[in-house]
Parts: sequence; structure tokens; C-alpha cells
Amino acid sequence: MTPSRLLSLGGVTLAGAGFVALLAVWLLGGGAVDLPWAPTLGSRLAFRVDGLAALYGLLATGIGLAVFVYARAYLPIHLAHQGRPEAHGVRLYAFLLLFLVSMVGLVTAQDVIVLFVFWDLTAIASYYLIGFDRQDERDRRAALMALLVTGASAVLLLVGVLILRDRYGTLAIDPILAAAEGDRATSTAAVLIAVAALAKSAQAPLHFWLPRAMVAPTPVSAYLHSAAMVAAGVFLLGRFHPLLREVPGLLEGLVAVGIASMAVGGVLALTRDELKQILAYSTVAQYGYVVFLLGLGTAASAAAASLYVLVHAGAKCALFLSAGAVTAATGENRLSRLGGLARPLPVLAGATGLAGAALAALPATAGFFADELFFGAALERGAAFAAVALASAALTLAYIGRFWTEIFLGARAVEADRLPALLVGPVVALAGLLLAAGFFAAPLARLARDAAETTWRAPVDVSLAYHLDARPENLLALATYALGAVLLVARRWWWPAALAAARVGERAGPERLYHGGLELLNRLSDRIHDVEVRDLRTRVAAVLVPASVLVALGVAVTGAAGVYTTGSIAADDVGLALVLSLAALAALAATFPRHHVTIALVLASGGLSLAVAYAFFGAPDVALVVVAVETMLGLALLGVFALLPRRVLRREARVPTSGRRRWRDPLVGVASAFFAFVLVWSALSRPAPDESIAAELTRLAPEAHAADVVTAVLADFRGLDTLVEITVLAVALLGVGALVRRRAA
Amino acid sequence: MTVLTAGVVAVIFGSGAYLLLKPDLFRVVVGIVLVSNAATLALMASGLSRGDPPIAPGAGAEVSDPLVQAMTLTAIVIGFGVAVLLLALVYRIYTSHSTVDLDELSQAEARHEAELEREQVEV
Amino acid sequence: MTGVLTEAVARLLLAPSLILAAAILVKGYSDVGDGFTAGVVAGLAVLLQYAAFGYRRVERVLPVRAAVGVALAGLALALAVAFVPLLWGAEAVTHYPRPAEHVVHVGTVELLTAVAFDVGVFLLVLGMSVGAVDAFARAAGERREP
Repeated sequence: MTPSRLLSLGGVTLAGAGFVALLAVWLLGGGAVDLPWAPTLGSRLAFRVDGLAALYGLLATGIGLAVFVYARAYLPIHLAHQGRPEAHGVRLYAFLLLFLVSMVGLVTAQDVIVLFVFWDLTAIASYYLIGFDRQDERDRRAALMALLVTGASAVLLLVGVLILRDRYGTLAIDPILAAAEGDRATSTAAVLIAVAALAKSAQAPLHFWLPRAMVAPTPVSAYLHSAAMVAAGVFLLGRFHPLLREVPGLLEGLVAVGIASMAVGGVLALTRDELKQILAYSTVAQYGYVVFLLGLGTAASAAAASLYVLVHAGAKCALFLSAGAVTAATGENRLSRLGGLARPLPVLAGATGLAGAALAALPATAGFFADELFFGAALERGAAFAAVALASAALTLAYIGRFWTEIFLGARAVEADRLPALLVGPVVALAGLLLAAGFFAAPLARLARDAAETTWRAPVDVSLAYHLDARPENLLALATYALGAVLLVARRWWWPAALAAARVGERAGPERLYHGGLELLNRLSDRIHDVEVRDLRTRVAAVLVPASVLVALGVAVTGAAGVYTTGSIAADDVGLALVLSLAALAALAATFPRHHVTIALVLASGGLSLAVAYAFFGAPDVALVVVAVETMLGLALLGVFALLPRRVLRREARVPTSGRRRWRDPLVGVASAFFAFVLVWSALSRPAPDESIAAELTRLAPEAHAADVVTAVLADFRGLDTLVEITVLAVALLGVGALVRRRAA
Repeated sequence: MTVLTAGVVAVIFGSGAYLLLKPDLFRVVVGIVLVSNAATLALMASGLSRGDPPIAPGAGAEVSDPLVQAMTLTAIVIGFGVAVLLLALVYRIYTSHSTVDLDELSQAEARHEAELEREQVEV
Repeated sequence: MTGVLTEAVARLLLAPSLILAAAILVKGYSDVGDGFTAGVVAGLAVLLQYAAFGYRRVERVLPVRAAVGVALAGLALALAVAFVPLLWGAEAVTHYPRPAEHVVHVGTVELLTAVAFDVGVFLLVLGMSVGAVDAFARAAGERREP
């Protein structure tokens, strides 16, 4: 079995097992894990399956299962179509798995840092998945856009949770939510967290990355749009809802964003031609519903939001998988080139119809209940909200109706191949679940209730049933069907207006800002690159000269009287003084010669003089190491010179110093010598303290069974330092091997 | 003695800094080695006591400060690793650009970038 | 340059240099020297062989291809000495025998975990320097005989 197949099987197993495990834990009343992680930071690996975690976790694993099963059939077709080897599938499965695991980690996390880590992991996984077809520039750009929008906003989340930690003194989510107050720090944090969540959920005006992201292979899109990534955003809003509620004006903001997203997503979904684009804008609109509901801020709206996420995930996943199957069967991905596929693909047509019906809230599907709660929650807040709800529900019905009828009805436009069972099976299964939940809604209701109770932090009542009476919810539903049908039929009237609106959005939308910002950043980095990096010497001088000036200022300000001592030269210091002078002379001499070999020899002579000096200092260990190192370094220099052709070295020996540099370089050298002199002299002038660590070390060495105190320090007392040191050495020398072995391209 | 040591450190450091500003990458490497030599000398000189080597010291004997020696050793070893890595880097630059001159390198890079931009415009 | 005399000297010096390195290594705890110096000295001995014989002949005679393996083994040994004590709750870099416990002597060599740590440093430095020399020697050899 190839690694790709093996991973895919592993994904199916893991998703299935995760689903069953989460289900069991949820049904048994929840469970928690709590391990210490970074005790000094107060961060713990704390996870708990509560109502909210159960809902999103079951979605991530359940939808994940459908996606993995579907990918087994889809990916070979996809890769073969692009002429890529099957092994490339490994990346897709691996990152899908990472996606799944980080989603489950995110929704169960009870520690804000852990939550942030998983949040970022989902962004990373989505980057690789969206850019899976990496040979295509469009895909790479889309992946980068998703990463930048969701990754940059993730920083806001981090800042937000750190503010919360500062304010409440803990990283655990529950105590923070329990103690939440509406003060300024909390408000700032709440706004930051909300913005991060809205960017992740592709809400206007940060929605533009999501439709681009549909270039990803179909299983990825299906997962991204239903149970992962986008769902993570509204999950975060649900998780921190008690905090958001405390901040005045924030919920109203959510309502506004939700309405904007419903409008933008709905209108654009209505006008797109590419199948996955329609579904992508639909996702923007549908999550707009959820954000709108969370913004309404009542118990009923929390329940409606939970149920809506659930139903939408199933329906949207089925629709994406179906779109992928249609493209796989016909090779077409545009509505205008498709039609009449109900005859060759009856099962797919039926299942897609059911999923569409659920999204459009037709009775006998779970979608009806979701919209009933949606209308109920809107009505509770007033007629204006109900009108908004009605309008967006009608829009949904219209674009889903257009999607389904233009693919499956009408004149037959293209030939369709037979589809493998695995491409249709997951769609049928999801549609079946949505249909079943239209009649037996109790499990759905319980899941939504538990999630809503986590969000709302108080008992919430969710009862789903059909009521054959003229209650306002039912009237609104009927109005939706009527309005949607009118929209569908009277397409000729509104089509130009919708198209024009979409075009305005493209021209003046926030995506332009994104591109402009990216361009600006690019130019900025080029400029910095030019100024800083291109000329290494400018940078060196830019460090050395200001440092010297600062030291000079320091000396001028603090005054030097009594700080500096000249010290004395004892009789047996004469040798040391001589050797030190020799080292200084050698260093000076290294600046003059033209030929490289001379420089290397002068350098080595200076180093060896220092070795003698260290011997005078009473440090034979250091002297020995210096001798060894200087020998090795000198030989290394000579060896590299031998590798280079003569002419290259000769050119360097001849290089005339240009006019300005002739004065600048020595001046910088002298200035930095001055600064080193003042610093070292003042350091050496400090009188020695009475108690020294040296005496302690000398006393301890025999206890460590060592006669050589220095080696005892290196290997025992400060062993960790040595460990770090040799690790650095290992990395440096590995780098040498890599640099030298690699042949020039 | 303190003035003299400080002066020697200063001369070595200044020579290193001067070499760092040269366009020849080998001189830059030598400059870095000199700067790290200056640092190790300063570190050694800052020992609190000077006397016999700290090896099996007898009771009451004046012993050189072993702590600075250990720290100096660590510094020397890391300096050595860095110097060799830089040397390899220079060699690598030679193999891919056929020059070890910073001026020529930045000219080549400017040419390369201009070329890239031209290509992008054409695309 | 690589005449008969160089080859003879190189051959003669190999064993004494390695013995010197070994001496510096094992006596590091009671006299001047440590694992790092020993590693550089041994590395210099191998470097001399490269200078005298060229990388093809050296690779035939000495196990230089194992250099990176030796280095990693050294790093692993040092890491193990440093961190294995954590397993039974001692602090990192706890050496055995503990102070005041009896030390086993083999001749004048003391058996200590601290010496094992130094052996790790030695192996790392030796392996890495031989690896770097080998890389440079190959680069030179391949340039001369493309």
C-alpha cells in the first residue's frame, strides 16, 4: 500500500474514531484532561468536552470522515488530471489530518494559549491545503491571501488573550468568562478577539479570501467551508460570548457585520457562474446569519446560532462534494455550461436537491427548524430584524434554487461520465442525515441546546417540531418561499442590477485594499533591503559609530574623576606586557598587507601571542585551546585560499580604496577602538568585591572529584552552558558541510 | 596594567572593526576573528584574581579566577565555530558568484533584480 | 609539495597525535585540557593526513565517512549525560559518583560521568572537524579533476 493510501486510510479511521469518542464523551456528560505544560507561564494543556466543544468537535470529525472518504475517490482523479504522481496526495491527507486534529484541539481547549496555538495551526493547515495545486500561481496567491488575512488577524487574538491574562490573572477560559466585566481592558480584548473571529469566518469586509480559497481541491473546500476554518471563527464568538456580552456596542457591531455579510454574500452568490464560487459566497452569507444571531444576544438566538452551524455544515459540505462530483463527471465547473444532469446522475441530483432544500429551509429537512429558530430569534428583537431575516432567507432560496435547477434541469448541455460510488456516497449520506433530522430532530436539538448553554451560560430551551398554525415564524417561512420563488422566476428584472452591484464590489471592495497593502509592504521591504542589507559595511558602521558616540556622551556626562585607575606593572608583569603589545601590533599589522596569505599568518601570530598572554594570566587551559583553535583557523584560512583561483584573490589585493572610504574606514576603526578602550578600562578599573565566586568554585571542585577547576566548571557546575556551546558548534559545522558540499547551480 | 590591557583590547577591536568595513569578504572574516579575540581578552582580563593555574590548588595559594577562564573557553569555541562557518559561507559565495568582493556582489544583485523586474513586466 | 618526506612524517605522526589527544581527553579532569582541545588535536592529526595523501587515499585508509555519525553520537552522549538524571528526578547535569562517594580508578584515570560528558564533546568536535575538512578536501579535489 502506498503512503498516500495508508494516510488516507489513517484519516478515515482517525476521523471515525474521533467522532465516536467525542459522541460517547458528550453523551456521558463530558470529560476533561488537564496536564501541566508551561508552569512558569501558568499555561496548562487543558481540554474539556462541553456542549460547544461537542458540537464543533462532532462536526470536525463527522464532516472530516465524509471528506476523507470522498477524497479517496476524488484525489486520484484530481492528480491524474494534472499529471501529478499519486505520492503528492500525502501532503493533502497529512494536512487534512492536521486540520482535523487542530480543530478538535481548538474547540476543546480550556486555556487561551493552547487555544491560540491550535487556532494558528488551522491557519497553517489551510495555507498548505488551499495551495495544494502549487504549480498554479492563482492557487498560491489564494493560499497566501488566506494565510495573511487569517494569520494576521490571529495576532489580534493573541494580543486579546494576553490582555485578558493581564486583567484577570489567569489563562484558563472559564474563570476569565466568569469574572468578565465591561471595563476598558476587557473591551479592547473582546474587540480584538471578535475581529480575529470575523476574519476567520470570512465576514464582510474581510470576506474576500474565502471565495479565492475555493481553488483548493474539492474535499478541502468542503471541509474548509463547513466544519473547519470558517466554523472556527463563529466557534470563537460562541466561546467568548459571555465576554463579548459585557462590552457595550459590540453585539450591535456583530449584528451589523452579519447583515453586511448576508447582503454581500447573498447578492454575489446570486451572480456567480463558477459552481464553487457560488457556494463560497453562500458560505459568507450563511455565516453572516450566525454572526447576526450571536449579535442579537438572547438565549433563543444562541440556540438558533448553534443549530444553524450544525445544519449549514452538513448541507454546505454535501453541496461542495456534489459540485466536485459534477465537475469530475463532466469536466465543467460553470453553471452556464451545465444543465439537464438529473437524467444521467439521478442519485446525485436527488441528494444535492435535499442538501439544497436544507440550506433553503424547506420543510421535511433539518434546515426548516434552523430557519424557524432564526426567524423566532429575529422576531423577538423586532420587526426590522425579522425583515432582514426574511430578505436574506429569500436570497438563499433564490441562489440555491438557481444552483440546483441550472445544473440538473433544463436542456442537456454536456455528457456525464459514470461516477464512482465513493464520490456520490458521502453526498447521499449527508443528505440522508439532513432528511432524517427533518423528522427526528431530537438529537440535533439536544446538541444545539448543549452548545447554546455553553455559550449562554444558562439553561436554554430548544424544542423542534412542526406547528401547523399561523404563528409568525411559519408566516415568515411562507413569505420566504414566495419571495424566493419570485426572485427565481423574475430573474430578468434584477439580474443587471445584481451584476452591477457585484462589479462595484470587485472594483472598490476591500480586496483592493489588501492588494494595495501587500504592494506597499513589498516596496517597504525592498527599501529596507536596499538601505540595510545590500551594503553590509554601511550597516556595520551604522552600529559602531553611534555606539562610540553614545559612549563618548556617557563619559562626558558622568565625569571620569576617580572612575579610572591606571593599575601598576609589577616586575613579573613585564613579560605579559610585552606579549600583549605583540598581540596589539599583530592586530594592527593585519590591516595593512595586500596578500591574503600574509594576513592569515599575521592573524595567527596575534592569536598565538594571546595564547602566551593567557598562560601569563595563569590560564593554561585557555592557552592550550587558543593554540589549537588558532592553528585550525589558520589552516582553514590557508586551505580556502588554496581553493580559490589566484586571480580572484589578486583582484582583492589590488582593490584601490575609493576616495571617501579612504578616510571613513580608518575613522570608524579609531572611533570604535576608542569606545572599546573606554568601556574595557572602566570595567577593569572596578575594584574586586570581597567575596568571589572563584573561591567558592575552587573549594567545590575537589568535591566534584576534579583537580582542574576550569574543567569542573565546564563539565559540571555550568554543564548546561557547555551543552549549549557544543550544540552551537555542531550547528555551525553542519552548516559548513552543507555549504561546501552543495555544488554551485 | 589596566590601561595597557584596555589599550590592547582597543587596538585589536579597532583593527577588527576597520577590516569589517573592507569590501573583501576574507578581510571581513579576519575582522570578525579579531573582534572576538578582543572580546576574549577583555573577558580574561576581567578575572578577579591572578595567580597560579586553578589546578589542584594548595590551601591558601593565590589562584587565577577559574570562572572567567571557563567563560572564555566557551566564547573561544563559539567564536571558532562562527569563524569557520563564515569562511565556508565566503567559499560558497565564491562558487556561486565567482567573486568575494562585496561591491561586485551588490552590483550583481542589482543587475539580477533589474532583470527579474524586466521579466515580470514582460509576463 | 606532497613529497615522500611529507607522507612519511604524516604517517609517523598520526598515532602519537591520537594518543596525545586521548591523553588530553582522559586527564582533562585532573590536568590541563578538555574534550574540546583533544578533539581539535585529533582533528589536526587527520587534517595532516589529508594534506599529505589527498582525500581519496585518506578515505580508503581512515573511516572518515563516519565523521558525521561520530559527531552526532558525541552530541547524543553529552545530551544523555546531561538529561538522563532528570528521569529519576535529579537536576540536569547531575554527575555521578556524587560528592564524597567513592570513585573507581583505572590506573590514574577516574571513572566519572563528567568524563563521559567530555568524551561526548571530544567525539563531537572530532567528527565535526573531520567532516568539515573532508568537505573542503572534496571540493578541492573535485575542482581539480572535474
